Amino acid sequence: MNSEERRIAREITAGLDRRHFLRATGAAALAALAGTEPKLVAGTTKLTPRADSMILLWMAGGMAQTETFDPKRYTPYKPGLESNAVLSTFPSIDTSVDNIKISQGLERIAKVMDRGTLIRSHRVGDLGFILHSRHQFHWHTGYPPPQSVAAPHMGAVISRTLGPRNPDIPAFLDIGQNLEIGAESDSVKAFHTAGFLGSEYSPFLIYDPNDAVSRTRPSENVGRARFQRRYENYKKLVAASPVGEYGSDFQRQSLARSLENAHRLLNSPAAKAFDLSLEPKKTYDIYNTGRFGLGCLLARRLIESGARFVEVTTEYIPFRYWDTHENGHTRTVGMKQDVDAPTAQLILDLEERGLLDRTLVVIASEFGRDMMTEGKPGQEVKDQVKQPAIMTELKHYGMHRHYTEACSVLLFGGGSPKGKLYGRTADERPCKIVENPVTIDDLHATIYSVLGIAPDTYYEVEKRPFYVTKDGKGKVVGALRA
Amino acid sequence: MSSLSSWWRGSRALALLTAFAAMSLIPKVSAVDFATQVHPILESRCVPCHSGDKPPAGLSFANKGTALKGGTDGPVITPGDSEHSLMILKVTGRKGAIMPAAGGPLSAEQISILKRWINEGAVWPDTASDLSSHWEAPIAPRQPPIPEGPDANPIDRFIAAYFAQHHLDRPKIVTDAVFARRVYFDVWGLPPSAAQLDKFLTDKDANKRKRLVDSLLADREMYAENWISWWNDLLRNDTGVNYLGERKPITPWLLKALEENMSYDRMISSLVNPVAPTDPDGFLIGVNWRGTVNASQTPYMQAAQNTAQVFLGINLKCASCHDSFVNKYKLRQSYGMAALFSPDARLELVRCDVKQGQFVTPALLYPDLGSVPENASLNQRHAAAAKFFTDPRNGRVPRTIVNRYWQKLFGRGLVQPVDDMDSEPWNADLLDWLASDFTAHGNDLEYLLRTILTSKAYQMTAVVSTELAAKNYVFAGPYVRRLSAEEFVDTVSAITGVWRTRPEGNDAVQVRDWELKSSSLSLALGRPIRDQVFTTRDNHATTFQALELVNGDALEKELHRGSLQLLGELSPPPSNSFDSGILRHGSVSFDIDISGAKQLWLLTQDAGSYDPSRTIAGWADVELSGPNGGKKLAELTTLSKFDEQPITADKQPLGKSVTVPLNSKLIYPIEGLGFTRMRGRVAVDDRSRPSDIGGSVRFFVFTAEPDPERLVKIVGKPPVPPAAPLRSVDEAVNRLFLTLFARRPTDDELHISRGFFQKDPSAQPKLEPAALEDFLWSMLLHPDFQYVY
Repeated sequence: MNSEERRIAREITAGLDRRHFLRATGAAALAALAGTEPKLVAGTTKLTPRADSMILLWMAGGMAQTETFDPKRYTPYKPGLESNAVLSTFPSIDTSVDNIKISQGLERIAKVMDRGTLIRSHRVGDLGFILHSRHQFHWHTGYPPPQSVAAPHMGAVISRTLGPRNPDIPAFLDIGQNLEIGAESDSVKAFHTAGFLGSEYSPFLIYDPNDAVSRTRPSENVGRARFQRRYENYKKLVAASPVGEYGSDFQRQSLARSLENAHRLLNSPAAKAFDLSLEPKKTYDIYNTGRFGLGCLLARRLIESGARFVEVTTEYIPFRYWDTHENGHTRTVGMKQDVDAPTAQLILDLEERGLLDRTLVVIASEFGRDMMTEGKPGQEVKDQVKQPAIMTELKHYGMHRHYTEACSVLLFGGGSPKGKLYGRTADERPCKIVENPVTIDDLHATIYSVLGIAPDTYYEVEKRPFYVTKDGKGKVVGALRA
Repeated sequence: MSSLSSWWRGSRALALLTAFAAMSLIPKVSAVDFATQVHPILESRCVPCHSGDKPPAGLSFANKGTALKGGTDGPVITPGDSEHSLMILKVTGRKGAIMPAAGGPLSAEQISILKRWINEGAVWPDTASDLSSHWEAPIAPRQPPIPEGPDANPIDRFIAAYFAQHHLDRPKIVTDAVFARRVYFDVWGLPPSAAQLDKFLTDKDANKRKRLVDSLLADREMYAENWISWWNDLLRNDTGVNYLGERKPITPWLLKALEENMSYDRMISSLVNPVAPTDPDGFLIGVNWRGTVNASQTPYMQAAQNTAQVFLGINLKCASCHDSFVNKYKLRQSYGMAALFSPDARLELVRCDVKQGQFVTPALLYPDLGSVPENASLNQRHAAAAKFFTDPRNGRVPRTIVNRYWQKLFGRGLVQPVDDMDSEPWNADLLDWLASDFTAHGNDLEYLLRTILTSKAYQMTAVVSTELAAKNYVFAGPYVRRLSAEEFVDTVSAITGVWRTRPEGNDAVQVRDWELKSSSLSLALGRPIRDQVFTTRDNHATTFQALELVNGDALEKELHRGSLQLLGELSPPPSNSFDSGILRHGSVSFDIDISGAKQLWLLTQDAGSYDPSRTIAGWADVELSGPNGGKKLAELTTLSKFDEQPITADKQPLGKSVTVPLNSKLIYPIEGLGFTRMRGRVAVDDRSRPSDIGGSVRFFVFTAEPDPERLVKIVGKPPVPPAAPLRSVDEAVNRLFLTLFARRPTDDELHISRGFFQKDPSAQPKLEPAALEDFLWSMLLHPDFQYVY
């Protein structure tokens, strides 16, 4: 960051502890000395931020909207059922908002619906083949791959633009995604990156929330005392070096600074945020529906301690979790059990701690699902999952195909309207959006604007502008901001 | 900076120095920047309507010519006078209907930018003429005369002339030790071992530096295994990365080309016109994901962008979508080049996702170098591309590659940025001479490397790179450079003797980092995800990277094993009693001797399944037998959990089998049970055969705890010979100082280093693994190691 960028960030993050902020940006300022850091240019509109931090709850694999937040006519299973007649495989339930009904199995989220906004008209990109990882790349960066420059993850953009909230906590953390998942590993790695923003803004990856604390602790082999002694000895050794004449003060300093930052982070009291064993058993148990649930708990603790952006994913592995190709109904029951309680508890906890007002929580997925349509209606996509016209087995019952024409998104906190329903889809197949479509560009524009970042804010890379929303054209959806 | 055109040149320099603008090292320029401030407004708010064949009011903002000309109402921009510019009257609603007609009015800030831009002269720096008034990079080769002087290497004569001209003293030449370390890293990617360094330092031959360069270059394998990472970045080649679309690695070809020192023109021909079966056809395929793709990212547009960037130092990325606002290249030119590589030679022009109804046929970026008939076949067009990039009249290609080599070895190019070869070099004569000399010597890359490495310029004391800040770069020696990810990781292996492995057949071979997929460590150290061309590594020290170095598993594991190995305490791994080899379907039977075994370890390893999580693999009909009788596997107590389910392998039902997730182990304590034999089958279930699962499994039996890094036999030699085990603390300290820093410790450093091995200051230093690990870590994180001086 140069001073202009610091000024922009300061304006956006007015009210933060300034001393902390400068401490945090010291290393980045040193890195900027090398002159290759992309330059930040603020967008044309000045926005008042409504939130300082963000949690993205990622429903990886394509969450079926008609089975969750946009329920349609319910048809119970019986052998011989005509596939085309089935829109939802669950009955609807009431929520705390009169005009909003959601799907059975999401009872706890239903209770907190009055705290947030439900968007039923999110329309993701149309990329021909409906590949999970490509759509996830698109959603997380705002740009569909391939791209001629390395596009950064939204979390990196937000962390880089606003700076860290607390220098003792990584600004951008990503919880729950294993990057070694077989053939699609590289596709997933491709967007878990800060891209051209540089490794300083990379996601701090935590696979297992229960094990997060180990990332902030010297390994058992080494232990804290030895770890500390090693560093003290190291500093003595470096100080004794006679190589000053060859060395560069700037480079030696920036290396020293980076190590100092790492050690401070590992020794900081804030690192307790990573330790779930410090959480009262009662709350731990509410969250503990599995790795995703505990990820929500960890996200809450990290936000409380000053993280800027936390993503918690149900994890993308082909054909697992929300990727409900076969046996969709039964598996969706399980997925709802995984996400319902912790999601609702996260909202309640943030609210109780007075953090919800300044934390934007977004629940989203790379696309929706349908039993009959792959991609968008009227379009032929190759390699579709087979669905018999007549169901003979329970495993046929569920939303097997990838649907890009409608998808549900939830927004909580950060001034998101409370108890609001936005957008509408048709009640008959193909259940297209009939009101207020929200594209990825516009949804991102809205998210960024809540954080005080104008949608045409950009970074200059290879002398050209690279905007936070595609080509700077995302439009803030006014109705989604309070 | 009074005139407008000189302001523009100033601002171009400024773009490189953004970080310094705010540090008041250069005067603050308050002028509006067209590319980053004005263009975005025009692009998003004006061009969507005012472009194409029949724009409203005859006014098109698509390019400079039409925009400045105006429309049916005359000019809309009056340079220097925003108050009377129709454009401002329109956007402020003071004349006629307010513009833009759709999407709401411009913000006050946007209007203010446009006004200031017009008042400052409405500079639209998108034409060759603006640039040519200052510097126009030549296309033709040029062979400037070598200046007179005592130096043998012509580079040094140019540099001597340069220093004289700039009234600079010639910097000192580095010591033998610093030179050796620098040149070993630059040729082999590894530091000299203590023995190699000693041999060089004690050599009395006056010509020994040249001889060292020759001997390093003579080991083509070591050279190739270092330089391949640089070429992989440049050609965006990565093995094993495929986004469910088309992508094809060119690794075998590239490695061979480097080992054989293939001439650069032959490399280019093979890359852009792959005709032989061994030619690298993957380069033109690019990076693709299945599905539809934006017109500016089609495989053939990627080929146009890549060939222009890699071979010519031209950025066509902007001009793949619209006429570039940051350089002189036009949309039509990008399409002309793309048409060399597309199946259809006639391409419809698409401007910012809008089809223009106009068609472009193959055209070379430099039309003076030839033309390509519209009806040429794809093969003929590939051949035409090869001819264009290797045409002796195309001096841009050798200039670009010699400049890249200069940047790699000096930390900064003769032209900077290296991907903008239209920029002015700081020494045009030297650039042109190097390029012409390279061409005259058959485009020999090894010759080029030798020419530079044997120059005194390369051997000068390194300087810090803060000169990037200076408005006018002045050469004063190479920059201090940070080690690359591969150099760091390989050095750790070279000093400890512990290398990572990759499978070869049923065995494993020890390899350098480039052969393996990127790890959290190598990514943190700046190894790029090669989806784009990378010509400069991001090698800044960051907190994120430090966390990986301070507390990451990858380095810790290396250091732990490495220290044990250095002390000769890494026990040889147990050999496996059974190895199924890679099994993709069907079953393999085994019948092995387990007499005397205390434990059984049954390992089920993933061997490259598409979806390991759905792969079903198991152990069928496993029986243990001995003098005291037999038992089935499922009847034994186990320390691990397992399922039992029926397995069918190659349509053969194998009955109920012990099934386990991949990468799991079953451990059975069998001590005292008297078993002598174990027999059974391992199998991959037919349900794992569909291509979306693609089960691929390898099974092992061990009779002792296996070393997870060493499940199979290691064959062949390590990349460099292992060093002898350490016998004393002082030997450890001296060897690590010599190898990592190319110098001995000072007394003070020796004292501090011994401290790592002492429990307290009065204790005798003791050579033990944990202390060595900590000392090794400290040496590897030491700036004297992390940088090439």
